[in-house]
Amino acid sequence: MNKTAKAYISLFKIRVAESFQYRMAAFSGVLTSLVWAFVDVVAFTAFFRYGDRAKFAGGLTLEQTISHIWVRELLLFLQPFSIDDELLLKINNGDMGLEMCRPLDLYWHWFARSSARCIVMFVMRCLICFAVGFIIPGGYGARSPVSPGAFWLFVPSACCAFWLSSAYGMLVTAVRANIAWGDGPMYFMLLIGQVLSGGYLPLQLWPNFLQPFLLLQPFAGLTDIPARLYIGSMPLSEAWLGMGVQLFWSAAFILLGKRILSCRLRTIAAQGG
Amino acid sequence: MAQIELSDIRKAFTVRERPEGRWGLLKGAFARHARTVRALDGVSFSIGEGALVGLIGPNGAGKSTTVKIMSGILTPDSGACVIDGRVPWKERVAHVAGIGVVFGQRSQLWWDVPVSDSFSLLRDIYTIPKARYRARLEELTEALEAGSLLTTPARQLSLGQRMRCELIAALLHSPKLLFLDEPTIGLDAVSKLALRGFLKEENRRSGVTILLTTHDMDDVEALCPRVMVIGRGQLLYDGTLGGLKRRYARRDGQDIDEVIAAMYEDLAL
Ligand SMILES: Nc1ncnc2c1ncn2[C@@H]1O[C@H](COP(=O)(O)OP(=O)(O)OP(=O)(O)O)[C@@H](O)[C@H]1O
Ligand SMILES: [Mg+2]
Repeated sequence: MNKTAKAYISLFKIRVAESFQYRMAAFSGVLTSLVWAFVDVVAFTAFFRYGDRAKFAGGLTLEQTISHIWVRELLLFLQPFSIDDELLLKINNGDMGLEMCRPLDLYWHWFARSSARCIVMFVMRCLICFAVGFIIPGGYGARSPVSPGAFWLFVPSACCAFWLSSAYGMLVTAVRANIAWGDGPMYFMLLIGQVLSGGYLPLQLWPNFLQPFLLLQPFAGLTDIPARLYIGSMPLSEAWLGMGVQLFWSAAFILLGKRILSCRLRTIAAQGG
Repeated sequence: MAQIELSDIRKAFTVRERPEGRWGLLKGAFARHARTVRALDGVSFSIGEGALVGLIGPNGAGKSTTVKIMSGILTPDSGACVIDGRVPWKERVAHVAGIGVVFGQRSQLWWDVPVSDSFSLLRDIYTIPKARYRARLEELTEALEAGSLLTTPARQLSLGQRMRCELIAALLHSPKLLFLDEPTIGLDAVSKLALRGFLKEENRRSGVTILLTTHDMDDVEALCPRVMVIGRGQLLYDGTLGGLKRRYARRDGQDIDEVIAAMYEDLAL
């Protein structure tokens, strides 16, 4: 194996080990989001039963919508909600410069670390969500994937979502490292990501004329595309398009993130001492 | 050519400050004063292989800045610096692969995992062959008596224990050069003595070049045949500690700290 790749994999592993200490944080996060998901499910059930069906132009059924909500909960930690707290601390206190004492590319060094954190949160949360969301009776729980084929395309697409989310997280981190005046822009970027990923409302329930844009924009790949494959609202024959979109935007975010970070590194000064 | 060559290195920082006075806060919101601090103002020196050099000077003199420039994490405004044939900030990755750095006030260990995990990560980062790594780790833990610390997370170590682990981390890949910025800060007498003994032995045995900054003159006295004094961003003295004493001592047998204080006074630092 390539020697440098081994270093990044070790970084990933050590961060995974470190992150398992945040069990409680993950657990309480899951509780909140389970409550939200449940409220969503109940609200959509009411809409579908008593509301004007014509307003839901997307053509999703109630079952599909509910499954979408639970799959979204499952994948939620693949959406960047904040940037890695350890990296944020290093950016703020100037230790970022010290990271350059290591013979590594800072971008991939940080990528390995922040994605490790992300995957741990995801795994812990996944187990709980699965236990709850897929067992709840009475039509409020998620259905199984529409077909075995859908499941086997959902899995790689979820992996792409993880890659995309790490790349976007790093882009936000790089932007954050470039501005000395606070967290505002960072939260704004993250919020855009959450909304456009379908995290609040499945993208297929948005107005019809927006649909082509919504599918091709960068954030659909975070949750909506894998969820579409799962619930069968994206034909399996179009899975290549979905994953293509995910990989295209991952590459774009990586290139941009690298560019912005190296820009910062040219002027960096390790503070203090 | 010497292992380390610095010539006429300059580095200025811009510090933004708020105007003083009653309306300072308000004025500051609109117009910020930018003041330039000349941290290094033309520093030149060279250090040969296997040397043990102490860099001293009052607070804010520019010691840490010098170390950062030599470590490749800070780019100077002008001047040349060549270390082992490389310009640190231009070939950063290749440069840092061959040096070890410890900043006494910062930790470079991973906080939440056992120290030994940090070490094996470093093994992968510096691509140290397994057998060499094991032998080296054993050698270093023995010399620094750190065997019992390996299973503890860095966060739970005391300052002196952590410093010993930082040193092991910096030396695992057997660098040819070691930069230490205030390695003895906050250590008790026993730990200090142990650390000095270790550094001296390491220098003698493996021939590693060591440059350390400190405010403890006993460190310099015990370790460094050569001292450099830096003040106001300039190199003010470069020679032996004995020579420095002879030049600045006001009476015979004067305490070394008093001599240094007298020197800082003489040089109007
Ligand atoms: N990142 C920075 N931004 C602005 N000014 C800085 C920065 N780093 C250092 N300085 C300034 O440069 C000067 C030299 O700092 P440096 O840290 O090199 O001093 P030092 O010799 O290490 O002092 P000490 O003994 O207190 O550690 C100081 O006046 C300091 O205020
Ligand atoms: Mg200093």
